[in-house]
Amino acid sequence: MPSPEDIRQRIESSIPGARAEVEDYTGGGDHFRATVTAAAFAGRSRIEQHRLVYDIFGAEIGGPIHALSLKTQTP
Amino acid sequence: MSAPPNSPAATGAAISSEPNPVREAIAKAIAEHRVILFMKGTPEAPACGFSARTVAALKALDAPFAAVDVLPDPRIRQELSAISSWPTIPQLFVDGELLGGCDIVTEMYESGELAAALR
Repeated sequence: MPSPEDIRQRIESSIPGARAEVEDYTGGGDHFRATVTAAAFAGRSRIEQHRLVYDIFGAEIGGPIHALSLKTQTP
Repeated sequence: MSAPPNSPAATGAAISSEPNPVREAIAKAIAEHRVILFMKGTPEAPACGFSARTVAALKALDAPFAAVDVLPDPRIRQELSAISSWPTIPQLFVDGELLGGCDIVTEMYESGELAAALR
């Protein structure tokens, strides 16, 4: 199962210029909460911003990553 | 049980427009209900915290909504995510469009955008 650090690195390497803070908020290793700040979100709806992040993980969401709760914003 | 001689399965033909009753039922439900929530469990007995929080936002606004429990048949979730390209449950649709999951619905509730979208 990925760690918060894995998830942070994968978000930051997949979305140019993104900064992510990721925490495991139940301690169970599969419910994560991430705040992602990226200029690439500018002009995109919330849902498109979230899709950009979810697409990085594909089928892992709902699998090893049971939940990835997102807050997305532009810098 | 071998496939009948001239059936597509026998000839191995690629079936592009294979009937997909589950996907068609989902699309029909989305089209027929202005506000529809695909969730785990039911509004009275949500089976997951995210579904429960999403139901709570809708109930707090006294917003009527249709609800579909995705748990009884895993194909519902599979076909739904293919339609919406959204990987998680719950999913709230308004006027045929995906509004979002728990995060977005609660964020919109807190900002007042959900009340506006449901008006």
